[in-house]
Amino acid sequence: MKLSTIAFTMAHAALAGSAMSLIFEIDPILLGGLFAILTAFIMGPFSDYLRIPLDSASMTLFSIYNALTFIFLMMAPGPTLASEKVGQILWGSVLAITPTYLLILFTLTSIYVSILYVFWGRICSILFDPKLAEAEGVNVKRYTYLLTALAGIVIVFTLRITGGFLVFSLLFIPSASSLQISESLKKQILTSSIIGAMASIFGVSLSFSFNLPVGSCIVIGAAAIFLAAALLSALFRRRIVEAIPLEQR
Amino acid sequence: MSYAVEMREVSAYYFGEKKPAIIDVTLTIPINSLTLIVGPNGAGKTTLLETILGLLEPRRGNIRVLGHDIPREAAKIRKLCSYLPQDFMKPPGEPFSVKDVVAMGIASNREFGKLGNEDWKLVEEALTMLGIAELADRPIGRLSGGQQQKVMLARALVRKPKLLLLDEPFSALDEDSRRFISTSLLPKLIDSGCTVIMVSHDASFTPPRCDLTIRMEEGRIVGVVSHDLRSST
Ligand SMILES: Nc1ncnc2c1ncn2[C@@H]1O[C@H](COP(=O)(O)OP(=O)(O)OP(=O)(O)O)[C@@H](O)[C@H]1O
Ligand SMILES: [Mg+2]
Repeated sequence: MKLSTIAFTMAHAALAGSAMSLIFEIDPILLGGLFAILTAFIMGPFSDYLRIPLDSASMTLFSIYNALTFIFLMMAPGPTLASEKVGQILWGSVLAITPTYLLILFTLTSIYVSILYVFWGRICSILFDPKLAEAEGVNVKRYTYLLTALAGIVIVFTLRITGGFLVFSLLFIPSASSLQISESLKKQILTSSIIGAMASIFGVSLSFSFNLPVGSCIVIGAAAIFLAAALLSALFRRRIVEAIPLEQR
Repeated sequence: MSYAVEMREVSAYYFGEKKPAIIDVTLTIPINSLTLIVGPNGAGKTTLLETILGLLEPRRGNIRVLGHDIPREAAKIRKLCSYLPQDFMKPPGEPFSVKDVVAMGIASNREFGKLGNEDWKLVEEALTMLGIAELADRPIGRLSGGQQQKVMLARALVRKPKLLLLDEPFSALDEDSRRFISTSLLPKLIDSGCTVIMVSHDASFTPPRCDLTIRMEEGRIVGVVSHDLRSST
């Protein structure tokens, strides 16, 4: 819950950062990443010191970032809102998928998986009960920063394909669907990656065949899987209940 | 090093509060003893335990735990301690299984890597000791309050702590479990070299060996009874 709030805000920070990079005509990844990671680091203290709930802090930042995005887009040189570059930042583009890009994504994934593998026990401990983990001597802050920084980097790279408006959906829907169908955390991580991959394949092929924006297609694919997962788990639960003899209910 | 905990004129505040939650607390708890902390709601019992662990930084005074300065060396000392929190209940959606939760007690003390076979054996032993071995694979969120409290106690024990801090460990337990823990499990633990500090309201389940009773009210220590002294005079 808390992590998804942070990811949501980071995604929009990345969008604002990329929009700003249009003004200076530099690679959107640089400023997008900077914005996203800075957000991850300031959000906690921001809500702590001002004593506002994390949700409110997140919504405030989200609004600020959206406003900034449009200001930056207007300030960008060239014909406003018409250029291909603006479109790429807002809606994403298949053209972003280059061999270098795939290589970077692959490297990132390997880093993420190895971090999860090496620190699995302590990360579980933090996810289960951060205060108790802290009481047992785990450096909760360090791990949280590490994970959010990595999430920020992943968000910025995903941004290129899905565009700024949909990046959060691609992160959120697969994990929400995996919660519907799997019990343990390991299975949840695995199924959500598989769902994400399936949605992406579906979305990219849909986008190629009908010439539609790729990000939207991926998200619609993911949402379809989410509905299917929800239906499936509802059906299964009902069947489990039916399997229990009447007198034991 | 003969004291497990030494506190000198310690006051601690919660974030943003003007009134200290514990005031001028001075106490020494010998190693290898059992200390009971009693007092009404809001007296500062939980706060005292969390200050000992360095979770709440004292604004005044100094604290030494197992001979080390808190909060400066808290991260190191916490690895030698176990804590059973007062609010342990998890919502039904909590996905972690009972044995995973107990294993976290060991994982928290490791720098990296996975748990080995011996670790899982320790987990099993801890669960068996508390009579909940058959719950090992159940998601913790779907257990009863008492069962969950036993899981958290198993997690505290599996770390083989030098200092064990229990905040109302009996609050959700049935009578048999309370009796077993106070008359058998805790005394054995102390015999093996552990120091136990326990917050409890229920005086009828005081362990047979209780060295010190500390009474708190409104953030202050208002009474210390040393049972050794009492029996020798
Ligand atoms: N998170 C918090 N923020 C601010 N004040 C707090 C917080 N937690 C506790 N307090 C205050 O600190 C004081 C001591 O609380 P504490 O939780 O230590 O009491 P306790 O003795 O454990 O009570 P109980 O028997 O109800 O568990 C109380 O006055 C309480 O209002
Ligand atoms: Mg308390």
